[in-house]
Amino acid sequence: MRSDEATSDGLGRLSLLASALSGRALQVAPGEPGEPAWTDGTLVFVDAATSARDRLEALAVQASLLAAGSLEPEVVRRLTRRPASVKRYLAIEGHRALAANEHLLPLRVRSLIDWNVAARSDAPAASLAASLSLEVIAEPPENFGTIRARHLLASNDPGGNSAAKREHDVRQQPNRVLAELDEDESSAGGSVGSLFSSPVGGGGALGRLLRRMLEAVRQLNGGGPPGADAPTHWTRRGTRGSYAAFSTGLAGTLEEAALEGRGRKYPEWDAHRQRYRWDWCTVREVEPSSKSCTPLMVSDAFGLRRSLARLGTGLDSCHRQVQGDDIDIDAAVEARVDVKAGSAPDDAVYLDSLRRRRDLAVLLLLDISGSVAESAATGQTVHEHQRAAATALTVALHDLGDRVALYAFHSQGRSAVHLVPVKRFDDDLDLLVMRRLHGLVPGAYSRLGAAIRHGAAILEEQGGTSRRLLVVLSDGLAYDHGYEPMYGAADARRALVEARRHGIGCLCLGIGASTDAEVLRRVFGSAAHAAIPRPEQLRQVIGPLFRSALRSAEVRRR
Amino acid sequence: MSTTRSSRPYYVPIGSEEHVFKAAFRQGMSVVLKGPTGCGKTRFVEAMAYDLDRPLITVACHDDLTTADLVGRFLLRGGETEWVDGPLTRAVREGAICYLDEVVEARQDTTVVLHPLADHRRQLPIERLGLTLDAAPGFCLVVSYNPGYQSVLKDLKDSTRQRMVAIEFGFPPAEVEEKIVAYETGIDQNRAAELVRLGQAIRRLETARLREVASTRVLIATGRLIAEGLSPREAARAAVAGPLTDDPTVTSGLVEMINVYLAEQPT
Repeated sequence: MRSDEATSDGLGRLSLLASALSGRALQVAPGEPGEPAWTDGTLVFVDAATSARDRLEALAVQASLLAAGSLEPEVVRRLTRRPASVKRYLAIEGHRALAANEHLLPLRVRSLIDWNVAARSDAPAASLAASLSLEVIAEPPENFGTIRARHLLASNDPGGNSAAKREHDVRQQPNRVLAELDEDESSAGGSVGSLFSSPVGGGGALGRLLRRMLEAVRQLNGGGPPGADAPTHWTRRGTRGSYAAFSTGLAGTLEEAALEGRGRKYPEWDAHRQRYRWDWCTVREVEPSSKSCTPLMVSDAFGLRRSLARLGTGLDSCHRQVQGDDIDIDAAVEARVDVKAGSAPDDAVYLDSLRRRRDLAVLLLLDISGSVAESAATGQTVHEHQRAAATALTVALHDLGDRVALYAFHSQGRSAVHLVPVKRFDDDLDLLVMRRLHGLVPGAYSRLGAAIRHGAAILEEQGGTSRRLLVVLSDGLAYDHGYEPMYGAADARRALVEARRHGIGCLCLGIGASTDAEVLRRVFGSAAHAAIPRPEQLRQVIGPLFRSALRSAEVRRR
Repeated sequence: MSTTRSSRPYYVPIGSEEHVFKAAFRQGMSVVLKGPTGCGKTRFVEAMAYDLDRPLITVACHDDLTTADLVGRFLLRGGETEWVDGPLTRAVREGAICYLDEVVEARQDTTVVLHPLADHRRQLPIERLGLTLDAAPGFCLVVSYNPGYQSVLKDLKDSTRQRMVAIEFGFPPAEVEEKIVAYETGIDQNRAAELVRLGQAIRRLETARLREVASTRVLIATGRLIAEGLSPREAARAAVAGPLTDDPTVTSGLVEMINVYLAEQPT
C-alpha cells in the first residue's frame, strides 16, 4: 500500500470510481479516524487511515447502496424511527446491493458478497422488512460502514445550498451515528432536538420548517416522489422555491439607477393570452462599476480559438490558387500560352473557395441574476463559471478579429430590466473591460425575454456584419415579478424566435448550473443550447453550437 | 480498399443488425448507422461488405469536405484537363458499398449531393460533366454518425435521415465484449473480463466528466498492449486514461480505477 494514498488527495482520486459504482456524481472525503464509512448521497466518508483494501471495500458498499436504491428517502425515513435495525438492514441490504452491482465491481471486491444473504432479499423494502422481523441476521462486516439516515435525508432535502449544508454536517455532528439517535428526537414532527444547528443545514427546527415550506413548492412544480432524483436536481428546485432569499444583492443599486435615464421599451409575449403586451418592459443600460483588481486576461483560455476560427468566416472564391476545387480557366489558358511561348507557366490555375474574411458580430449576454450566485457542483459559483466562459469567448473572438460585445443583465420587475455594458462593440478589449466584468455582482431576477430583445436590437444596430450571433450565458431560470417560470420560458423562447427571424443566430449556454435539460429546452426552445458542468468543456461544444446557430440564421437570411 | 477474400472481418452480431442491413442492401436502400465511437460500426460495415461480396469504399468526413472531394474534379495533366472520379462516383460506377464515416461532420451543402442517391432514384448527378450516373447494382450508401451531445448535434437533416434505414449501435453486452476483446487481442478470457469490467465502470461516468467513454476499441487497444508484454495497468494507463481525458484530476481518478480493476502483473 502506498503511503501517499492516505492523504485526502488520495481519497479524492477515488471519486471517479465512486461515481462509476454508484451511477451518480459522488465524491470521496476523509471521515473521522476510527469511524465506520458512511455517505450522505453526494459524499462518501471513509477513514483515510485504513488500508487501501478496506477503503475500497467500504467505498464499494456505500456506492452500491446508492446505486441499488437502498438509501432512498422512503426506506431511510423508516430507519430513522428504528435506529436499532440499521445494522440488521445493512447486513442484508449491503449484500443485496453488492450483488445487484456485481457486474461492475472490481474482482477483488466481489469476494465480499455473501450470496446466501443477498438471496434473502430482492429489494430495499424486502431487506427492511427482514431487518424489522425477528429473523436471525449476522452482523455486517466492519467494512460495510454504517447508514446515517438523518444526513441522507438532509441532503435529499430540496432546500438550502448543498455546499453549505455539507460543511455544516461535517462540523456539527461528526460522531453522530444513527444508532445513537433517540426515537422521539428523530420523529418528523416539530422537534426541538437540534435547535442549535444552523438553519441552512436543514437539521435544525428552522431548517425543518424551511424544508417543509420548500416541499410545497416542489410539489407545485410537479416533481416526482422525494428523492427520486439525484440531489443536484433538488438543489435547483430549492433555488426555485427560495428566490426571495436572493433578491438582496443589487436592489438598492437597481432602484437608484432606474431613476436616471429613460430606457427603451420592449414588448413581452403573454403566454396566457397568446399575444404581445406592447411596450411592456423598460430596458436601461446601466454603467458598470469596475473592481480595482487586475484580473488575468489569458488569451485562448480554454483553447476556443481553434474551434471558433473556422466559423463566422465568409467563403471567398479565390482565383489563381495552387490547388482548388475547380480550374480557373483564364489562368489555365494563360499558362498554356506561356508554355507555347516557351516561358515557365504559373501552376496556380485553380479556383478555391477559402474562408478568409471574418464576418461575424457576437453579442454575449451574461445572466447576473441572483440564481447564478448558487454554487455549482465543482465548488465555484455558477456566476464564476459563466464569467470565465464569457471572458474566454470574448477574448477568443476578439483575437480572431470578430466584433464582440458583452452585456450583463438582470431585472427587478418589468420597468427595471438592466443591461450592463461590460464591453460595447466599439470598446477596446482592455483591462477596464476585465475590471468591469469582475465588478459584476449577481443579484435580483432575470427577465430573460427583454434582455434577449435588447441584445438583438443592439446587434442589429451596431453589429455591422452580415452574420450576427447572440450568445446567452444563463442558468435558464427565467423569473421576475409577474414573470413566473412557465410564462418566462414562453417569452424567452419567443424572443429567440424573433431574433432568428431577423437573421440573428442564437445560442444558449448553461455552465455549471444544475438546471436540467428539460427546463433548458423549455426556455431555449429550438435555439442551439447546451449545458456543461465546467467552462473547460466549452471547447467541445462551442464549435457545433456556433455552427448550428449560424446555420439557423443563414436559412432565415436567404 | 478492395478486400481480398481472405477471411471475414470479426464481427459478433448483437441483435438483428445483420439481417436489417442485408435486407436494406437487397432493396437498394441506404443505411445510417448510429452509435458511439469505437463500438464497432466500421467493423460491421466491413463484415457486411465481405458477406455481400462488394468492395468497400470508406470516406472519413470532415468539415472541409467539399462536393468535389466526393464526386470528383478536373485536374490538369500535360496541358489537358482530365476528370478524376471521387470516391463516391467510383462507388456508384463500380457498385461498391460507399461508407461515409461521421457524416454530420461534413458541410451541409456537401451532403445534399447524397439525396438523389439515397432515395429510390439512386442517381448521382455530376454537374461539371453534365452527366447523371445511375448507380450500378450492388451500390449501397452507408453513413454513420455519433448522436453525441443531445441538443447540439441533431444535425443530420430530416430530409437526409428520412431517406435512410437506421441501425442503432451500442456497446456489446459484457459476455460478447469479453469474447471480442479476447479474440482481437489474444489475451486470455479472464484478463479480457477484467478489462471489460473496467470499461463498463467507466461507461457509467459518461455524462459526468468524460467526453467519450471507454469504447470497445479502447479496450482492444489495451489488450493489444498487454499482449505485447506490458503490465495491464501500464497498458490501461496508456490506452484508456490517456486518450479519454487531458484533465489531471480526471486522469488521476481514472488511474485509481485502473489500479482497482486490473491486477498488477500479467498472470
